[in-house]
Amino acid sequence: MPSGNAVDEGGRGMTTTEEQLEQAQQFERLKALVDKPYRWIDRKWDAVFWISAAFIVGAACDITKLLFAGDWDFWTDWKDRIWWPILTPFALVIIGSALQYIQWLAWRFPTGMTYTAICLWPLATLGRWLQWGNFVHYPMNFVWPTTMVPAGIFADWVLFKTKSFILTSVIGSAVFAFGWWVSNYVMIAPFLQPAQWMDRILTVADIQGISFIHSQTPEYLRIVEHGTLRSFLGETQYVALVFGATVTVAGYWIGQFIGRMLAIWPIGRFMKKW
Amino acid sequence: MAQVATTAPDQAVESKPGRGPIDWWGGHRLTFVGPLIFIVIAAALRIWMQGNAWTIGIDASSPGFTKTYRMLFWSEITSSAVIGFWWWTYLINKGRKIVDEEVPHEVEVRRIANFWGLVSTISVELTIMASFWPNMDGSWHQTAVRDTALTPAHIPMFFLFFPFGIILTVGTYLYGRYWLPKVYGAAMGFPWSFFLLISASVTEMMQVAMNEWGHSLWITEEIFAAPFHWPFVLYGWLAAGIFALWAETIIRLLGIEAEIEEAESTGGREAVVA
Repeated sequence: MPSGNAVDEGGRGMTTTEEQLEQAQQFERLKALVDKPYRWIDRKWDAVFWISAAFIVGAACDITKLLFAGDWDFWTDWKDRIWWPILTPFALVIIGSALQYIQWLAWRFPTGMTYTAICLWPLATLGRWLQWGNFVHYPMNFVWPTTMVPAGIFADWVLFKTKSFILTSVIGSAVFAFGWWVSNYVMIAPFLQPAQWMDRILTVADIQGISFIHSQTPEYLRIVEHGTLRSFLGETQYVALVFGATVTVAGYWIGQFIGRMLAIWPIGRFMKKW
Repeated sequence: MAQVATTAPDQAVESKPGRGPIDWWGGHRLTFVGPLIFIVIAAALRIWMQGNAWTIGIDASSPGFTKTYRMLFWSEITSSAVIGFWWWTYLINKGRKIVDEEVPHEVEVRRIANFWGLVSTISVELTIMASFWPNMDGSWHQTAVRDTALTPAHIPMFFLFFPFGIILTVGTYLYGRYWLPKVYGAAMGFPWSFFLLISASVTEMMQVAMNEWGHSLWITEEIFAAPFHWPFVLYGWLAAGIFALWAETIIRLLGIEAEIEEAESTGGREAVVA
């Protein structure tokens, strides 16, 4: 950041433009505001806010994922290439988008999606470990949750560069969906390896699903590839992924509605009659 | 970084060292104590269930279930009603006595810190109700046969933490209405922020009825993301109003700072206290 006294430094003929001078003055004004001595406002309020909000943000993202796309997130054999790439990024992006709006509006922080991802991860992992692993005794490599941390960083980067929610909804949602797939494919890939099971070739994930039965759900080998998509062979996941990116745009605007109308709009508004 | 001034121009109320309005163990104490109470209750119930859910809790028609889980259900309902009624009554009675009293800035700041402690408690409580127990709900109901609406997963979630969502959100509004009249006083009307947050907790409780009706009508255990679960998510989004609570009170905090600054520049110390 250029400073105001750099206009002519030590007679070296170093000059600066009016724009730079204005920037320097703006910097000083903002710095004075940040350093302003308050009687009762200190960084503890920031800490209380960010840590307290982390709980409800993570929980909101988790319940949205659980009840919109949970089945495709619970088990490795449900992490398929038809529905998983469509439903999960759609569900995950909603609360991330809301936080992106809130943090960008309040602080110009392009961090809302990443913040949501960081809040979600410990809650989702704790839930899987305590309630699915420790309580029902499913192995964690069967019930691990997806991560949205890399996808969140990518989507925030798009907002940071474009400074536009419309562009972020289109480009960022696609980047989010693709980023989510790539980062989670690393984890699902070992479970997609072929293995022989009772004279049939299945994936390791399928064998997990058969071995660790969900005793209150129908017992069968999931046939997830219906219709002509099955004849697309390896293209199937890319077709689903592109559609998933499209659906994620809709999820992004649902999140914008939550951020704009349910979190920010009510500030200082009162019902006079009720 | 904002700094707290070393001088105290409006030191009207003496506080013990470390117990001031913005000290961690002073005004911000409830931020730790409130959430901790709910975390301890959730942990205790979860540990207790580890030993008996898959033996006693699996058969709702057994005498053992009646003596333990059904008893727990009635205890939760009764204690929620008693605690809620007692706390709300206390807040209204005490609040009516103090609402019109002029208080120094220090006291108002402490009340805002207390209010933030209550909001932190709501955040953690809603997290337990929307992330911690729903994970158990998924693992239990996709594994165990559902023979009652009062399953071991439902009893803590729906009949303890859901009611306490209502108790806390309504109680926090009452605290704001009487202890922070310059922000939430009755003359201003009913705040939209609280309307949304309270609506979230109330509609979640009401959705339990539809959920149980739905489960008695359809066998949908295979799909946790069943459409009749979706209202839990939609109603949960209303809790975004919690962000407006933080904003509204920090605006008041800035207003207090402005009043102090103005008084210091015009009237001196006595004017600040008023």
